[in-house]
Amino acid sequence: MSDVFAALANPTRRELLRLLRETGEQPVQRLADHFDMRRPSLSEHLKVLKDAGLVVEQPVGRQRLYSLCPEPLREVADWLSPYERFWRARLADLRDVLDELPDE
Amino acid sequence: MSDPTTIAVDQFLAHPPAKVWRALTDSDLLARWLMPNDFAPVPGHRFTFRTAARPGQGFDGVVHCEVLELDPPRRLSWAWRGGPLDTVVTWTLAPEGRGTRLLLEHSGFDPDDPVQRRTFTLLDGGWRSHVWRRLEALLDDSQR
Repeated sequence: MSDVFAALANPTRRELLRLLRETGEQPVQRLADHFDMRRPSLSEHLKVLKDAGLVVEQPVGRQRLYSLCPEPLREVADWLSPYERFWRARLADLRDVLDELPDE
Repeated sequence: MSDPTTIAVDQFLAHPPAKVWRALTDSDLLARWLMPNDFAPVPGHRFTFRTAARPGQGFDGVVHCEVLELDPPRRLSWAWRGGPLDTVVTWTLAPEGRGTRLLLEHSGFDPDDPVQRRTFTLLDGGWRSHVWRRLEALLDDSQR
């Protein structure tokens, strides 16, 4: 999971994830059009994302297509979710108590 | 969830603020929807909530609390300490029509905790304002 946090802590990599989310599967050339950086640097960012399990790479002919793999992101969002679930459940119980409680 | 270190949940309740306040500050009523406790609506009062222990998470089942703020019927704040947590729970009540908009904020998840510190690095750059929202949208998409 720490790989995921490290991968997300960089604006270029977040932008890559956004592009892949909005445009779907992309060859690296198409992704490179969005960035003012050399291809090897971009490839290095893609490798970090790949190692973190956030993107997958698929060779098609002479191209390599990258696509988003959102599953690890859910772990990040889930970090606090036990507490949030706890409070949502308690608030539902509070509503029940109020419904049973006579007005003063 | 704009700030990963705070949980915020709000809910409309079809009851006036005075009644909601009562459910938040009467020990017996609190026990009915939250946990058994020895709460008293007195600033500085120390009290506990008791629930099942979770030894795997270093939690003995006792939440040690203290009344930090008491402003009837608008705002109530408790220190909330148990297991690895040293946090603050704040309730804000606002009249809305014939009912109440109740906002819960549970804040202070500790960035010095190793797990939480990793999450805190996400607050860099555009994370707080933009990326989290996109992430949520993305998670929504991926659940379909």
